[in-house]
Amino acid sequence: MSTEFLELRNLSKFYGNIIALTGVTTTVNPGEVTCVLGDNGAGKSTFIKILAGVHQHDEGELLLEGSEVRFASPRQALAAGIATVYQDLAMVPLMSVWRNFFLGQEPKTGVWPFRQIDIDKAKMIAKEEMAKMGIDIRDTEQSVGTLSGGERQSVAIARASYFGARVLILDEPTSALGVKQSGVVLRRIVEARDQGLAVIFITHNPNHAYPVGDRFVILQRGQSLGNWAKDELSQSELTQLMAGGAELEELQHELAEAGAS
Amino acid sequence: MADTTTDKPTESADAGGDERLAHRGPIQTLLTRPEIGALLGAVGVWVLFWLVSAPFGTVGGTANFLDVAAYLGLMAVPVALLMIGGEFDLSSGAMTGATAIFAILLANDINGAGLGLHVAVPLSLAFALAIGWFNGTLVEKTSLPSFIVTLGTFFMLIGAKLGFSKLFTNKVLVEGLDEAEGYDFWNGIFGAEWLRNGHVWDVREWSGLWLVRDEIWAGLLICGSAALLFGVFELTYARRSAVNIAGFVASLVGVAAALVGFVALTSLDGRASNQMFGALTAAGVILAVAGWCRARYERPDHSDNGRSAGWWQYLFAGLAAVGVAIVLAVILNAEDSSQLGFFGGSFGRVVFALGIAVVGVLAVLAALGRVTPGYPAIGAVLVAVPAISFLVTVQAARAILFGSFALIGIALLWSAAGRVRPSVVVSLGISLVIVILAFFVQAESASRKLRVELFTVLLLVALVLAASAVARHLSAARRSAPPPPQFGRWMHLCAAVGVVATVVFFVLEMADGDAILYAVITGVAKGGLAAFVVYAVVTAAFTLLTRDEGVGRALVTVGIGAVMLSVATRLLFVTGAELEKICTVGSDGEMRCPQTQFGVVVLSFVVFAAIGSWLLMRTQFGSWIMAVGGNKEAARSVGVPAARTKTTLFMMVSGAAWITGMLIAFRLTAVQADVGDGNEFRYIIVAVVGGNLLTGGYGSALGAGIGAVIWGMISQGIGFAQWNSDWRFLVLGALLLVAVLANNYVRGKAEKAPVKSSATKPDRAGITIIVPKGLTGSKEDKE
Repeated sequence: MSTEFLELRNLSKFYGNIIALTGVTTTVNPGEVTCVLGDNGAGKSTFIKILAGVHQHDEGELLLEGSEVRFASPRQALAAGIATVYQDLAMVPLMSVWRNFFLGQEPKTGVWPFRQIDIDKAKMIAKEEMAKMGIDIRDTEQSVGTLSGGERQSVAIARASYFGARVLILDEPTSALGVKQSGVVLRRIVEARDQGLAVIFITHNPNHAYPVGDRFVILQRGQSLGNWAKDELSQSELTQLMAGGAELEELQHELAEAGAS
Repeated sequence: MADTTTDKPTESADAGGDERLAHRGPIQTLLTRPEIGALLGAVGVWVLFWLVSAPFGTVGGTANFLDVAAYLGLMAVPVALLMIGGEFDLSSGAMTGATAIFAILLANDINGAGLGLHVAVPLSLAFALAIGWFNGTLVEKTSLPSFIVTLGTFFMLIGAKLGFSKLFTNKVLVEGLDEAEGYDFWNGIFGAEWLRNGHVWDVREWSGLWLVRDEIWAGLLICGSAALLFGVFELTYARRSAVNIAGFVASLVGVAAALVGFVALTSLDGRASNQMFGALTAAGVILAVAGWCRARYERPDHSDNGRSAGWWQYLFAGLAAVGVAIVLAVILNAEDSSQLGFFGGSFGRVVFALGIAVVGVLAVLAALGRVTPGYPAIGAVLVAVPAISFLVTVQAARAILFGSFALIGIALLWSAAGRVRPSVVVSLGISLVIVILAFFVQAESASRKLRVELFTVLLLVALVLAASAVARHLSAARRSAPPPPQFGRWMHLCAAVGVVATVVFFVLEMADGDAILYAVITGVAKGGLAAFVVYAVVTAAFTLLTRDEGVGRALVTVGIGAVMLSVATRLLFVTGAELEKICTVGSDGEMRCPQTQFGVVVLSFVVFAAIGSWLLMRTQFGSWIMAVGGNKEAARSVGVPAARTKTTLFMMVSGAAWITGMLIAFRLTAVQADVGDGNEFRYIIVAVVGGNLLTGGYGSALGAGIGAVIWGMISQGIGFAQWNSDWRFLVLGALLLVAVLANNYVRGKAEKAPVKSSATKPDRAGITIIVPKGLTGSKEDKE
């Protein structure tokens, strides 16, 4: 138990008198997908921001390879190997794919006053890494704004895994996508997992979470409802928990009545 | 392809070649650059004023508009970078004057602090950087729009300038810079000027060593265009694995023909010889290009378009017919109303009689069925021609021949058009029209520059167009980008430094001896010229001697460098003829020439534009600038220090304002309190004309420089053209609007064109994501 890669114990966060998140406990391991589910306002964003170093937790413990950590900035989290792919994708739409891929960590060449980006190398690596993700990018010079949603996700995931991320946090990667593209992104998640990354998959869609997840955390109104391994939970149970159990049943009745009449 | 020594990029680029993507050739890549519209606009504006005014195209005119452009561009380049970074600095204009006043007040011992310039100049730099830092930090810390923050700084600076000027000197004019301690030293840096006319590249000075300016210009232009053309071919077309010997021989024959034509053209003078050897040169060039394409590049797969093999016979027959029509139209005198009358005299009559006899015999044979009826028919026509010629005047013959050849030519071209891609025929047709236009200009124009220079340029354009069309038809397009050339990175550095330094060298060549920077810079510049020459030679050697696939980019670099040098030669040097026109011989027999001066500001401008462009395109900092302007949150989340980047940009602007302020101060030695106020909008406008996006995230530093040159040319050109200057701003506004629209149009076109099979949206979709920052709606107001 003590050798978990990333462990969260009763993690809590308060904004003034607002309880944004309390009592979140889970583990994240390489080669596993930990799904964090919750409706809007459940505290998912807060959860991500704590792990990504944007906010700091107020209570509980965050353990990285057994020792307690607290990330003061996104850079520190990044340095610890925790990469976050945000919902808005953290991409600059007007910039080319390779510039986005290497943004912040450009490969350089030359001696100081003439130090410049090694553009050929950057383009080559970007293309290769994208190919590893199964995306054959047409031209690394094309701007990210011209890519489809799924392709943008892939750029972000490929970037994270290339820069040595060990934990990949995906913030609602499927929420803005169509059915087919969502499937593509789910496949990317599995591929990232198979490459040995620990993936934290944030979503409000249990149908997306269940097929790829190994472990599930459900948040509701800032509270953690629990932390389950996949074999402890069926998909319908997950859906029920996620939607607040009774509420969903009620809704199902209503809908059934409406359909019958 | 079989080359195993090629490094990795080649392999992966080839392996990763995507069938959905047509390799973007260099032309298309160029068209997507933000500054392309401005570049075309600049050429257009230059040609316009060159046509309508005599002094505009001379060295004096160039010095004049470059001076205006340089003061503007020096600031516009960093302002453009800041704009790409998503911010504005409204205090930039006032800052130029503020640094000047600050320095003078500190240095002057009459009514200032009396610190001397050795203290005052660095202090004013510190002052400028501090304001830049203040602007940047305030914008970052408060997240207020930079528009508001710098507006505050702007008013504070204006107030401070006026207040301190009045306080210390009791006037709104701060003067006495030239009396301050250390003036000579700093004047050598900021006040340096280069005199042009004293050092003419003229046959009289350089006899035996150099040619006159026009020949250097023409030579560089021809070599540069050739290198550029072949570089573009290398980047565009797929290489053959083995050289086609027949094509290579054809290419050599073409080169030889072109050379013979060119030499004969320049050594002979006469209408017929000009036309004949001009045609020979053109045919030689096209043959050389076609042969080269056959020898070096893969054949295209024509099967998909259903073209038949005989297209080129029709095409060339058509072109030849139209060409003959043109030559006939020129040779046969339109004024001549005498009768043609071939075969006059007794000899003619004998031939005529014999001819009739032969036709009679043929007719009998045809009647007996021994020959086909075609022979007597052709014979009859041949006999009829001299008979009819007694009746026809030269004018009528001209009309008949010109008309029939033209019709045949058009019919053949039409026929060819059905067999090849129409674009090839259209290109060739356009080039033909340009040739006709060129000859028309040469025949009709009263002005020497139109007759000679425009004629030459038009022919060159037509030639390049025709050659490209032929090449396009003969060669298959590349599927993937070519690898970098084998001769390595340091050679590219050599080229980059070389091109810039060479231009600097051309500006500086033989400057005033007392400029302190001069000695250093000319040394560097001469080294750069040497570097460029070495690069050109190495590239040429690699192109000819090896099968290195990557020389395309190198050739393009050499070509652009040579063309730039030719333009610099054209604009910055005086011809002997020009010199004689503007110089006067005094009573003591000595020749006195008005001096053309280039201020150090022009040099600073060129260097700034080059550095700014490199910074944006090639460095990490450049990537960060675009990122913070495009999507600041995204940039920050991947570890870009957004605050530091923006603050650096603000400080770069204020640093440039300091340099501009010093240049103004040392040029005028006395500075008005309101100098520079209001220029901040010009900087922004010029940056927008240069293709920079007002909302940030996209743009070009070089474009801002070109925009400044356009502004300079328009504002000075109106004076040169002797147009009523009351209309100046109307013309300026209209031309600027045209420049921006052209830029928009070209980019929109280019972005849509290359993507083949995917339903991608153009960048516009991306642009709308960005939150507008204050100025978005007010673009039209300022222009």
